Amino acid sequence: MKTQTNCQCSAETLAMASVPMQEWCEPYDLATAIYSGTLFPCLNMNFFDAEDIPCPFCNKPALTKAAEQEKALIEICKVGFAINDLTLYLDTHPDCQNGINLMKDLLQQRLDALAEFAKKYYPLTQLSIVTGTPEAKDYEWDEGPLPWDPFGECILAK
Amino acid sequence: MWAYEKRLQYPVKITKTCPKTAQLIISQYGGPDGELSASMRYLAQRYSMPVKKVGGLLTDIGTEEINHMEIICAIVYQLTKNLTPEQAKTAGFDAYYIDHTTGLWPQAAAGVPFTSLEFQSKGDAFADLYEDLAAEQKARTVYENLLRVIDDPDVRAPLKFLRAREIVHFQRFGEALEMTKDKLDHSNYYFFNAEFDKKFLKK
Repeated sequence: MKTQTNCQCSAETLAMASVPMQEWCEPYDLATAIYSGTLFPCLNMNFFDAEDIPCPFCNKPALTKAAEQEKALIEICKVGFAINDLTLYLDTHPDCQNGINLMKDLLQQRLDALAEFAKKYYPLTQLSIVTGTPEAKDYEWDEGPLPWDPFGECILAK
Repeated sequence: MWAYEKRLQYPVKITKTCPKTAQLIISQYGGPDGELSASMRYLAQRYSMPVKKVGGLLTDIGTEEINHMEIICAIVYQLTKNLTPEQAKTAGFDAYYIDHTTGLWPQAAAGVPFTSLEFQSKGDAFADLYEDLAAEQKARTVYENLLRVIDDPDVRAPLKFLRAREIVHFQRFGEALEMTKDKLDHSNYYFFNAEFDKKFLKK
């Protein structure tokens, strides 16, 4: 399987920096990826004073409706982040088949999760108004809390 | 164009008011190595990049930096949302409070307003990519400085995330540098400016 880019990276020369191209490495699970800030173990270079921070995304049982909604949103953040990181990888490794396969899988997961979230709670994107609740008569773009204010208006399950 | 998605890239949920922490973190909104500066730098530089894929990368990283700016603003907002007049007197936050109450305004930790003088768009692929590599390193330093002095785990988790992104972006800009070199004459990378003297570029 082709995992390398086409870049014919030149030999090192004077007065010019070189950074080796990243090689594909087996990605983290989605919770570890967002916690670590990268999908790729080979790019996870931790800081000594950040080692003690607990993972806020480890599986906690969702006991209330509000916790269930929060968990659903975190699932979308996990998939979304993996897509964000993989986007940059594919920008510089456009021919990497491992990356392309994973991206297609993640994009489908994201599409389904956004529709499901719109159906159960509120739409995160305008498109998910029609994919999640095609039968709804009202326009739901103003529903749900504003992203920076999770303690604000809290809409529970429809 | 951009389309808004109603969530943060990394969730932020802070319960403890702390104006002193807000006053430090606001530097990553409007400070010299902040996220506003980062996004404007990459989104400005991309137009004239000679390698299409590098223009694409600058767009995607510049877009991610806007997400980071929103995370930083959410942290500052939540740290000061329930501020009392007594807490507003906190050393370091008092001067900000007088000018902006608890509104968000891009400035450095030391109060210097945001300015485009903090970044460069040089119209030269090497000069710009080296600036981008340095920018990621400088932002990493700021996040490490913040992590050393901030104790609240609700604030530390997003800071850890943002620091890690600087390292990934550094790697991608390094790869962009390699992709740019690939289009040039290996015997003398400085024979012409790839963004301006386009007639010399390899097809």
